[in-house]
Amino acid sequence: MQFLTPLGLLLAALAVPIILLYMLKLRRKPVQVSSTLLWERLLRDRQANAPWQKLKRNLLLFLQLLILAALVLAFARPALLMPVVASGSVVVLLDASASMNAADVEPSRFESARQVVGTLIDGLPGGSRMTLILVNATPNAIASAETDRAALKQALAGAQPTLGSADWESAFALAAGASRGSPDTTLIVSDGGLPKGLPALPGQVRYVPVGMSSGNLAVTAMALRPTAQNPQLFAEVTNYSADSRTALLSVYLGEQLIDARQFNLGPGENQSLTLDNLSTTPGIYRARISSPADAVLDAFPLDDTAFAVYQASAARRVLLVSKGNLFLEQLLAALPGIQPFRALPDANGALQIPNEPFDLTILDGIAPAELPAGNLLFVNPPLGGNDLFQVGAPFKEMENVQVHDHPLTRSVDWTNVHVLQAKNVPLPAWAEALVSVDAGPLVFAGAAGNRRVAALTFDLRESDLPLQVTFPILFSNLINDLVPPGAFDAMRPLRPGETLAIALQPGIERATVVSPSQQGFEISPGPNGYTFAETGELGYYAVNFIAGGEVKKVEYFAVNLFDPSESDIRVRETVQVGRAAIQPAAAEQAGQLELWPWLAALALLVLLIEWQAYHRRRIPLPPNPNSGFRGRGIRQGRPGGGPP
Amino acid sequence: MLFDESTLRKLNQLTLAASRIRAGGLQGDRRSTRRGSSVEFADYRNYAPGDDLRRLDWNIYARLERPFIKLFEEEEDLSVTILLDGSRSMDWPEPGSQDGLHKFTYARRLAAGLGAVALASGDPLSVLFLQGGRVAAEYGPSRGQAALSRLFGFLDGLRPDGLTDLNAALRQALVKPRRAGLVVLISDLLSPEGCESGLREWMGRSHEATLVHVLAPDELNPPLAGDLQLVDMETGYEQDVSLDGGLRSLYRERAQAWVQATRADCRKRGIRYLDLLTNLPWDQALLLEMRRAGIVK
Repeated sequence: MQFLTPLGLLLAALAVPIILLYMLKLRRKPVQVSSTLLWERLLRDRQANAPWQKLKRNLLLFLQLLILAALVLAFARPALLMPVVASGSVVVLLDASASMNAADVEPSRFESARQVVGTLIDGLPGGSRMTLILVNATPNAIASAETDRAALKQALAGAQPTLGSADWESAFALAAGASRGSPDTTLIVSDGGLPKGLPALPGQVRYVPVGMSSGNLAVTAMALRPTAQNPQLFAEVTNYSADSRTALLSVYLGEQLIDARQFNLGPGENQSLTLDNLSTTPGIYRARISSPADAVLDAFPLDDTAFAVYQASAARRVLLVSKGNLFLEQLLAALPGIQPFRALPDANGALQIPNEPFDLTILDGIAPAELPAGNLLFVNPPLGGNDLFQVGAPFKEMENVQVHDHPLTRSVDWTNVHVLQAKNVPLPAWAEALVSVDAGPLVFAGAAGNRRVAALTFDLRESDLPLQVTFPILFSNLINDLVPPGAFDAMRPLRPGETLAIALQPGIERATVVSPSQQGFEISPGPNGYTFAETGELGYYAVNFIAGGEVKKVEYFAVNLFDPSESDIRVRETVQVGRAAIQPAAAEQAGQLELWPWLAALALLVLLIEWQAYHRRRIPLPPNPNSGFRGRGIRQGRPGGGPP
Repeated sequence: MLFDESTLRKLNQLTLAASRIRAGGLQGDRRSTRRGSSVEFADYRNYAPGDDLRRLDWNIYARLERPFIKLFEEEEDLSVTILLDGSRSMDWPEPGSQDGLHKFTYARRLAAGLGAVALASGDPLSVLFLQGGRVAAEYGPSRGQAALSRLFGFLDGLRPDGLTDLNAALRQALVKPRRAGLVVLISDLLSPEGCESGLREWMGRSHEATLVHVLAPDELNPPLAGDLQLVDMETGYEQDVSLDGGLRSLYRERAQAWVQATRADCRKRGIRYLDLLTNLPWDQALLLEMRRAGIVK
């Protein structure tokens, strides 16, 4: 027990005026009565019966002195010494990653961590500063060098765990920056899923583990892959427990169960399931692991369910019309989101262009008399030209190669590309040159009427372009420009907190997103086009594309945990910071538990009692019509009664 | 004026009552328990040698040839002694504020009324003024209506003052009446020792005692509150008291209990007791309350 402001005790001198005032007030009013005989008997009996009556006479004084004592003590700020894990200038790194949602401790690990930090705030000695950093995907300091406990408590109360992973590197950088003066203690309140190679922190680093060691089964991967025929589904289940576990993996399309399989998994083992020949219609697949015995599977249910979305429109249909170009065939097979087709020759050996529509037709060395509908990519157009541009004689003078600054030439490096000869194509009015030499353009693109057209004026086999890294980059740029991909890639795995880029296709005015908890978001354009960042929930999201006030199209994407470091919820005994392995901290530093709020409350309580006691004494006089008694001073030598 | 004419007329109709009639030195208007020589016949008894032959009923003797003595009622007077407490505590409430409630004035009027009744009945009347533990002034014994104005003059000259040890004053007053009779003590009994032992001695002398207990209303229900220093006007004794509602109601209970205890004590000793608050009109007290208590009839 100690007093933080012992000078406050000097206020006890206020007792002197209180007592003086009381003594002045207690100069009793002299009142003459005919006889004190009955009063004497009454008071004698009363005091004999209740010795505390004497005390009661001075009850108000005692109560007032008690109030003063409580207030003076409160001003002096008495504090009890109690052991805490940290004191002085403290930086707290509070883990808010997904694994902190585990319910192996009641009610959850994060609540338990909140209690730990709350206790620390309570025991913070006067003058101590605390910086509170919430470690999630984007760590932020929710309280910075704060000395006010109420503000710290408020900040702590507002902290919530996320479903994402924790960015410990950023958090450590923040901690190092937040403690401009070197902190006495950096406290890590976590279940221990810290990555290796974290830098050392200034001051003493302490680690408070949260949670009990507990096993967990997780769906660690789930993906849909478009194949040549039907999409293929892949799901993986991992056992993060220390013992063997049995789990039942059920796969649903919508609400319909399409497969269920039981896995026996050893400690740390993972097993996968592949489903072929799925329906080509778009759909939402859901994989869920459960306990075969219908019991609770584990304490961390967030990774027991995963979603995957199959979006047919994501596959762009590209027709290659070529007499045979291995480079292009391999390229098209490798590019994501492309469904490549090849035009087959007919009986005469002439290539047939099917009637069905394609998003893009690549004409390699061929220009049919009637150009197919849709967007076109010309490679080595034949001499003479076509409806769109003229093709002149080949030239070999590759002087002054220029790569024009254009979105399509992004990351295109032409310095090591050599072209033997190219055809002289005058640049049409609708096109822009992307790569050109003095003699004419090598690559150009543009919008011709209602279709997009691009062209390479040389034969790929007469250059070393297909051998360069630039080749897939250039073609990816061109194909993505000619056939823009879907609004987003629904098959790309997305984790909580990650940003999804959404491309609004022409004609679409705006888009809204409905989260798994049916919360609606309006997508706003950012610097890199339309992005959606509110992916904090697990599950599938619906994107509504709206034009003219009505929903034109709905597409879906899924957000899954898929984070081995979060699914592995076992509590680590130590964490590695710098070169030191940090052991769990024991409460060994002295903190203070201040008692003044209790004393202030006591003073208030006694004040109420004093008020009550005062009013009980001040009851009004009874009406007595027969008595006009008035208190008077003593008069001596008064004559007797009137004449008879 | 202590009495107006109509009250005086009513007083004249009252005669002091005493259940046991005592033999007086003079023949009075009052029937004695003893058989005497008055003209009112009472009974017969057998003749015994030595009886006064004048009282023999000759008619009976002629008819029955047996001698019978006629017995007559004997009438006697009643010695009435009024003791008036003159201590300073009787000087309450303070004159000027509530003259109608003043205890000593009230007591004097009661004494005058009782005295007037006694004189109208032809009884010998003494009034003893008790003050300072002794008989400070004395009136009578006198008899007859003519003494009434002297009685009023005597009472008018009395002033309450000083301490009263009622017991000592009563013992001293014992020697004054020459024979047993009716004794009426008018007092507030606010004497530390009370008056029980004095009254007991009076009873021992075959007096018939009556206690008229006079109190002001604010003595039973004091209109006081707060932190007070009570000063006893008789003794000057100071008593500090912090009066709250609980204490005041307790005082009221105790004061009532004191009156009840005194009444019970008097009944046990055969003393007539009458408690009067000064807010009761004094003539009503004389004509109704005293009659009801059996002091007058």
